[in-house]
Amino acid sequence: MRVESLIDQVSTQLPGDPVKSYLTRRRALIVFSVLLLALLGCAIAALSAGSEHIAAGRLFPALISKLTGTVSTLSREQDVILFSLRLPRIALAIGVGAALAIAGAAFQALLRNPLADPYVLGVSGGAALGSITAIIFASDLSYSRPLFGFAGAAIVTLIVYRLGRREDDPAHLVLAGVVMSTFLSSVIAVMTTMADNVKLRNITLWLLGDLSSGAVEGLFFVTIAVAIGAAVLLTQSRALNLMMIGDRDAFAMGVETARVRWVVHLTASLLTGAAVSAGGAIGYVGLVTPHLVRLAAGSDNRLVIPASAIAGAIMVLIADTIARTALSPRELPTGAITAMVGAPVFVYLLLKSR
Amino acid sequence: MRRSFLKAKSKKFLFALATLLLFAGCAGARTNSAKSVETGDHRKFTDGIGRAVSIPPNPRRIISLAPNVTEILFALGLGDRVAGVTSYCDFPEAAKEKEKIGDTLNPNLEKIISLKPDLVVVSTSSQLENLTLRLDQLAIPVYVTNPRTAPDVVASIRNLGEVTGTSERAAEVARGMESRISAVEQRVKNLPRPSVFYVLQTGPLITAGRNTFINDLINIAGGKSISGDETADYPQFSRETVIARAPEIIVAPAIHGSELVKESDLRRDFATTPAIRSNRIVRVTPDLVDRPGPRIVEGLEQLAEGLHPLGAQASSPASLPK
Repeated sequence: MRVESLIDQVSTQLPGDPVKSYLTRRRALIVFSVLLLALLGCAIAALSAGSEHIAAGRLFPALISKLTGTVSTLSREQDVILFSLRLPRIALAIGVGAALAIAGAAFQALLRNPLADPYVLGVSGGAALGSITAIIFASDLSYSRPLFGFAGAAIVTLIVYRLGRREDDPAHLVLAGVVMSTFLSSVIAVMTTMADNVKLRNITLWLLGDLSSGAVEGLFFVTIAVAIGAAVLLTQSRALNLMMIGDRDAFAMGVETARVRWVVHLTASLLTGAAVSAGGAIGYVGLVTPHLVRLAAGSDNRLVIPASAIAGAIMVLIADTIARTALSPRELPTGAITAMVGAPVFVYLLLKSR
Repeated sequence: MRRSFLKAKSKKFLFALATLLLFAGCAGARTNSAKSVETGDHRKFTDGIGRAVSIPPNPRRIISLAPNVTEILFALGLGDRVAGVTSYCDFPEAAKEKEKIGDTLNPNLEKIISLKPDLVVVSTSSQLENLTLRLDQLAIPVYVTNPRTAPDVVASIRNLGEVTGTSERAAEVARGMESRISAVEQRVKNLPRPSVFYVLQTGPLITAGRNTFINDLINIAGGKSISGDETADYPQFSRETVIARAPEIIVAPAIHGSELVKESDLRRDFATTPAIRSNRIVRVTPDLVDRPGPRIVEGLEQLAEGLHPLGAQASSPASLPK
């Protein structure tokens, strides 16, 4: 951790460091408590809402009796709906949202590009292709979807990273990513024509983002990915702050830019792989959430990365709750809701930044 | 000079003559075909979606654009006259030998034309409005079938019999189907109607709505679908609602060993439902219940046997009070 201490020395020596001056303990405390309260409120509302309504007031007693093992006030069906369906799905929405938003925040900081996001870089496409391969060819293998998704994301990351590696030119990488994602989507199109009718429907729906079916196995992988990913990226957030000024300057200040690049890139890809394989291709969360956070709380990555995680969780949770309840008992694809909300927000941000 | 001029002139003359003859020939052909309609050589039909179609008597080169249509044509003894089928047409065995014109959703127009059909039969389930329009413009007769219920299927078989000049055979097939349908109706008439949940697939969970074929079959087989009031045909459905509506029987497709819907998924997701608790998962063969063709009665009987097992009619769990 010689590098970290170097950055500390350097950044304290910098007079009026623009990045550093943004973050105070008080600001961080306010941001996190507001976001956590909002997440808690959304989670309670989401637990209560659904095609079978369960009054919010009955949630807490039910939870207590569940934990203590006493007789529940809920009927057997309500108990299953609440604890076996809704709770895991809400947890999955939180996990997927956090994973996508952290990945987006990391890519944006790393590439100094407001358009960088797992989708633009083709990493989501790789994860989707891996998962679709699993659906078509290995649907009997348990855990095939998340594992193939991981593999797809990691492979695409390696390829895009090799294609787009230029010393100080992040645009090159984004270009490689764009080419990769168009290539991948055409491969997916060819594969779906090979699949039989029923599986085809499965794939097209899943491509739009679907949290209703991945709850059990997906949650496990997403939780691990978010825990590891957030921890790793937090250790890199100081280095990322300096790299936002420019790779050469950061290097001059003692940041091992090449190593940081590798670590951040791989971690963000694994987060994407976990999220996409569990919840399908849910778009705009990785793109929009970090922007909103920076707008509200400044652009220090030590704050942006964890705050994006919570904000992304809130976004996907709200979107998924709308998807579950708007036309119940029919369900909508979660990704369609995030895109409908996310695209206008992104346009607004674009216009505002001019 | 002069000679060549003459030559050119005669060439021109020959060309003009040829053109004239060609026109005359065409005009003749046109009047001929018009005449044949007038004399009733071509016959007018109204197809399943209300289009007027003019079809030659006893069409000899028929192209089927859906598996159910192929099955109907073969059942009418028209196997020899089928010129092309889709890659999904796998029944009867002989249908697999036929020329393929693409799959149900993406038929190849050039291939269809190259087979010189005198009748193309389309099923509305394939959603081929554009293709129908193109074939119309090319003056290739297109007959569209549009069966929505089991009785519709029987009627569509009769109609196709008329169109292809095999009405006697069609009537025979139709009567056989009707008697098997009414046998099922008779058998379940006085039995309680268990609530049924049809699972087309899990992940995401897809069921069948009101206007689907399977919903009609469930009704005839003496059941009541818990998603029978859904307006969408194949909606993504809430697992919560399934649990709350507590179906007594779960119906799911199964094919040749590899299951489309895994039993373990159903047991995990719907453990509290009466269906799982009393172990009543009914498997149906997708081709039999999905294809509005002659074998629909087999699917119906399969379903009826699953909902109301013959051996256990008196003490069927469905007859127990909930």
